[in-house]
Amino acid sequence: MKKAIITLTVNGDAREVAVSARHTLLDVLRGKLGFMGTKEGCTTGSCGVCTVLNARGEAVLSCLTPALEWDGQAITTIEGLEKNGALAPIQQAFIDYHAVQCGFCTPGVILSAQAVLNATPVPTEDDINDGLAGVICRCTGHIKVKEAVRAVGRANAGDTPVVAKP
Amino acid sequence: MLLPDHDFLKPRTLAEGLDALRDAPAGTRPLGGGTDLVFNMRCRLVAPPAVVSLKDLPELQGVAESADGTLRIGAGSRLTDLVADPRITARYPALAAAFRAVASRHVRNLATLGGNLCLDTRCWFTNQTKEWRDAKGPCLKTGVDACHAIQGSSVCVALNNADSPPALIALGATVTLASAAGERTLPLADFYRDDGIRHTVLGPGEILVSVTVPPVTDRLVFRKETARQGMDFAYGTIAVRADGRGERATRLVIVLGSLTTAPRRLVAAEEKLAALGLGEAGLAAAEATVRDALGALTNLYSPAAYKRDLARTLLSKAVTELRELPA
Repeated sequence: MKKAIITLTVNGDAREVAVSARHTLLDVLRGKLGFMGTKEGCTTGSCGVCTVLNARGEAVLSCLTPALEWDGQAITTIEGLEKNGALAPIQQAFIDYHAVQCGFCTPGVILSAQAVLNATPVPTEDDINDGLAGVICRCTGHIKVKEAVRAVGRANAGDTPVVAKP
Repeated sequence: MLLPDHDFLKPRTLAEGLDALRDAPAGTRPLGGGTDLVFNMRCRLVAPPAVVSLKDLPELQGVAESADGTLRIGAGSRLTDLVADPRITARYPALAAAFRAVASRHVRNLATLGGNLCLDTRCWFTNQTKEWRDAKGPCLKTGVDACHAIQGSSVCVALNNADSPPALIALGATVTLASAAGERTLPLADFYRDDGIRHTVLGPGEILVSVTVPPVTDRLVFRKETARQGMDFAYGTIAVRADGRGERATRLVIVLGSLTTAPRRLVAAEEKLAALGLGEAGLAAAEATVRDALGALTNLYSPAAYKRDLARTLLSKAVTELRELPA
């Protein structure tokens, strides 16, 4: 099939890009637009490191969806969470709670956590587990990740600001 | 790895889509959320000459409730939206649980109900990379007369790993299929075939348009057993529907999923439970019928002996849960 030109709004910037039916959204974000924060892991829908947010702020797997399906759509990648040099609360919480080890899965985990917070600003344990089940850290586990998400949840509830763990 | 080359068609209406499917070359596949098809294309398990995206078809979207309580669910509805739909969660929490049991939230944010109902069958020997398959040699599903799962089998025994069919079958759901030639409606139970290659009755150019759930006031329970909860394909699933309350029931529907090529109804177990009640005596009699009802099982993903035990355990746990449901 000949290439088609689609419009993708990535992190607020509209971009036109020529893609073919062979490309997934992941191929276009990494290979054509240079958003290398979106990682390529298993490409089978098992690991979740290719997670991006759709226009509704929900986590989707960019490796399992054809790029041509996204013509005219808005997407947020990990590069889009930081606003004017300030990290998003969930990013700061990941630093504060040491929720990063090798870092490869971190963009996918942070965007998945952001999706949980978008849907439920004060998430329950069930919300956190359900929202993070689809993305896997192979270094250690998810305890510190969940602590970071809970911290942002507490801040959203007005309990405590997101600051370093005592 | 890039997907195999193909034409990508994006119709705007159902009529346009059905015409496109009729006119497209043989082997053209309809595309729902893509979480099954794109993966299988990447593994080169299928290389359709064209893909018809159903994403923008308004006729396939949304849930509608009639005055009598019948639900019509568009096949293009995302599982995420169905998990949270109050018309489903309020009346059929077990059905919502079955939808939520599908993969992860990431997948459900893309995947559609129609896609899950049409989920391709899976086998340890075919759902591998092309290099892996080439080393092992082809099979019935990849074009030769051979089966690695059951030596000498003349029919593909790959498993139906979809989580939503058992609960929908138990509720007596029907499916409406459409092609350029017309529309037909049949029970979801009759939608599946005991053949891992042509595992549904969908004909060429035919797609699943909607699922209709009749109003049901019976009790319903769904359970899924899997390696990693909230992520993996099931080792086994079960849906049990019963009228009555407590240990009394006169009409039951019990459907097992993920253990066989088509979802399997346990008619003998239903009869035992209806005759003897849902207490320990009825349950013991029902469990004794499971082995014969399952027949020959494959060792795919888990050993056949484990699957037989699992089926009995699922039945026992589901019936126990059902009889303890608040009235």
